[in-house]
Amino acid sequence: MKFKKLLSMVTCACMMITACAGLTGCSGEDEQVIIYSNADDEAVECMKNTLDSNGYEGKYVFQSFGTSELGGKMLAEGRDIEADIITMSSYYIESAQSESDMFTNLTFEVNTTDSYPSYYAPFLANQGAILVNTDVLIEQGLATPTSVKDLANPEYAGYISVVDIQGSSTAWLMIQSLVNEYGEEGTKEILTDIYKNAGAHIEQSGSGPIKKVRAGEVAIGFGLRHQAIADKNDGLPVDFVDPTEGNFTLTESLAVVDKGDETKELAMEMVQCITEKGRADLMNYYPVPLYEGETADSNAISANSKTFAEPLTVELLEKHRNLSESCK
Amino acid sequence: MKKLKVSPQKTILIFSCLLFGFFLLIPMVTILCKSFYGDDGVTSEYYSRLFSGGSIFTSLLNSVLISALSGLITTILAFIPAYAINYTNISRKLKKVIASLVMLPMLLPTITYGFAIIYSFGKQGLMTNLLGTQLIDIYGTAGLIIGFVIYTLPISFMLINNTMGYVDKKFMIVSRMMGDSKIKSFLTTVITPLISTLAVSFIQSFTLSFTDYGIPAALAGNVDLLATRLYNEMLGSLPDFNTGSAVSIIMLLPSVLSIILISSLNKYNIRYNKISVIELTKNKVRDIGMGIASGVIIACVLSVFAVIFIVPFVEQWPYKMNFSLEHITEILSDSSLMSVYKNSLLTAVVTAVIGTLVVYSLALVSARRNEHRHLGKIPDIVSLVTNTIPGMVLGVAYLLTFKGTFMHNTFAVIIICNIIHYFSSPYLMMKSSLEKLNASWETTAKLMGDSWIKTVIRIITPNAVSTLLEVFSYFFVNAMVTVSAVIFLAGTKTMIITAKIKELQHFANFNEIFVLSILILITNLLVKGLVRLFAAIRSKKGKTV
Repeated sequence: MKFKKLLSMVTCACMMITACAGLTGCSGEDEQVIIYSNADDEAVECMKNTLDSNGYEGKYVFQSFGTSELGGKMLAEGRDIEADIITMSSYYIESAQSESDMFTNLTFEVNTTDSYPSYYAPFLANQGAILVNTDVLIEQGLATPTSVKDLANPEYAGYISVVDIQGSSTAWLMIQSLVNEYGEEGTKEILTDIYKNAGAHIEQSGSGPIKKVRAGEVAIGFGLRHQAIADKNDGLPVDFVDPTEGNFTLTESLAVVDKGDETKELAMEMVQCITEKGRADLMNYYPVPLYEGETADSNAISANSKTFAEPLTVELLEKHRNLSESCK
Repeated sequence: MKKLKVSPQKTILIFSCLLFGFFLLIPMVTILCKSFYGDDGVTSEYYSRLFSGGSIFTSLLNSVLISALSGLITTILAFIPAYAINYTNISRKLKKVIASLVMLPMLLPTITYGFAIIYSFGKQGLMTNLLGTQLIDIYGTAGLIIGFVIYTLPISFMLINNTMGYVDKKFMIVSRMMGDSKIKSFLTTVITPLISTLAVSFIQSFTLSFTDYGIPAALAGNVDLLATRLYNEMLGSLPDFNTGSAVSIIMLLPSVLSIILISSLNKYNIRYNKISVIELTKNKVRDIGMGIASGVIIACVLSVFAVIFIVPFVEQWPYKMNFSLEHITEILSDSSLMSVYKNSLLTAVVTAVIGTLVVYSLALVSARRNEHRHLGKIPDIVSLVTNTIPGMVLGVAYLLTFKGTFMHNTFAVIIICNIIHYFSSPYLMMKSSLEKLNASWETTAKLMGDSWIKTVIRIITPNAVSTLLEVFSYFFVNAMVTVSAVIFLAGTKTMIITAKIKELQHFANFNEIFVLSILILITNLLVKGLVRLFAAIRSKKGKTV
């Protein structure tokens, strides 16, 4: 008697657990291509529109993540990842590929102006710039900075916000511009003073500075150029400055996960579709040319765009991270 | 049938050993191995990398000091409303209001807190604008402590309030009749029975703060904490699971201390044969004083959250301050949102049902007198360990352990993760309330010829209903608000609402974050309301033993 009751209790619990496990087991939409992305809203919207207008509507699901979550997932799950396509910062895709060989080679021609590995296709480039809150600058009687080096000026102590390269690769855009212009030794000096000025406003998230500039918490920040443009167009007292050291870029790319025999053909088609038909749309927000035949609108892109001399690899990032850590 | 000698208590223990073995031990061992095992085999490289330079000690010290201070403040603050509810003659209605409002912050995701504090006390914040001056520098120690106190106050209050309800207040009269001074009487009849709960409350607040990432992410400024370090190692620009695992092992150190501390405090537990209802002495000064003190605490907490209800209704905070429903309609018309919301509800309900069952059965074994009580140390240890494992670590551990298995990207893995992650508080609550019930019931029932299960169903359960319901809503609410672990476990078809918030945080869309926070808040309020209604109907139906 006692045992029977107990048995029923245990069975009951087991059934409940299997029931909720089963909830996901049956899905009739297995044909859908799953796309994991760390891209901004605008970029995802562009990609969706491109896919929809080319007959792929309803054949895919987009799932957005923060860079760090998606990065963690990629490195932890490797080929077991649920996604068929991943859109992510290029150096991250490279690092995941070297770690777990998880992407398959693209089966179509990629006409980029620069050369990229055979397993991904870039679809946009983010450009760094100095962000300012014009109201706060006037309020505090601060001069508008013209270079990244200016941010080391003691006058800006407490008024600037920058990104920590430990937390987000947006910081890399700033460090690249410094290393390129002043060398590693010079960068060390400048960066030490910038961190001193930023104090509590060294952000772990790439969008930290734009948030603080937007909220008026600081007068000046270093972040993504197109975010400042969007805020400015929204009528906020936000503006951007192209630093004299130049604006550097990081690309984001599309890659198809190698799932052996289960790799979906449709996934490859979609990546081809986005890179071939979606760029015009994407360039409205991210105006940096990447492919043959593309030209940048002179107003939308910095006249002083630059590329770092060395290829942007995880090793280089690690080197720059150590440099940054020594400045704290 | 007679030969089967598996007692129900033993079955519960075996079942839970399997549960914790698979979903706690194996994932944590995986992490431990990661911290010692790299590409080139066994190595201590990751630890030596961590300890070189010594900055890890600074992080550790900062984390310990700030969390301890927050734990202390929280426990003292939580004591006040709990005292007002249990030891004063404030009207019952007012007591209910106090209890509900103190618990309010718990109904919101922590991810919201950082934003709320910045938009309240920051340079352009609501409170700063209203007061015309910035009260405190929110970036750094002060901001962190405010965040942690708000975050842990409800849990601390819940623990203290719960135990106070089971303290026999008759002894207050006895003490006064014996001629004890007011202070001595307060210490012996109020504080002494609470000592172990106060310690548990401190430890709970401490570890919650110690392991939280959401608040430091927004407010740490340049204070280096262990949690931020862990996040950077695990998920920074250069994820390094090996070094990250080493950091998370170091983060487990406080659990060792907690285990020693709690077991040494256990002897202070006092058991009453019955809880007598007494008339509390009349004391207007005490009543008004405690009422006002509770009111002030609640007002401070709520003032921080006011901003959540204001910002989304403003066109563009703080620059275009006109009323607008644009953000609300935009969010609510998002078609994918309803399915995400449904997923969240499903996860929360199942987590609450199974979680309550697990907690109740384990607490029965460890808190009530029976031949397996010595084995009750197992859930005790589990509760201390789960308490100190940061959600993020648990999430990554699950990811590494269950990738590629049939559990990968299922609701089941999210639900089990929630139960393990939130096991500690409800278990301690359940256990302490069961311990307070008369210890001789089982013996009496056994002499009367009732089986253990019969005793549990007929006698113990009816007396534990209010705590059971609290445990249920604790699990539900936390499953609704949790972010850290599930962010790694939610797949495309198992996406839940807090993962959506995290996604929005990535885009800095705080308007939408606040709207979704309000949606979560309303859901949690509804469920709490339903649970309370159920309890009320039940207690009307008939008085229990």
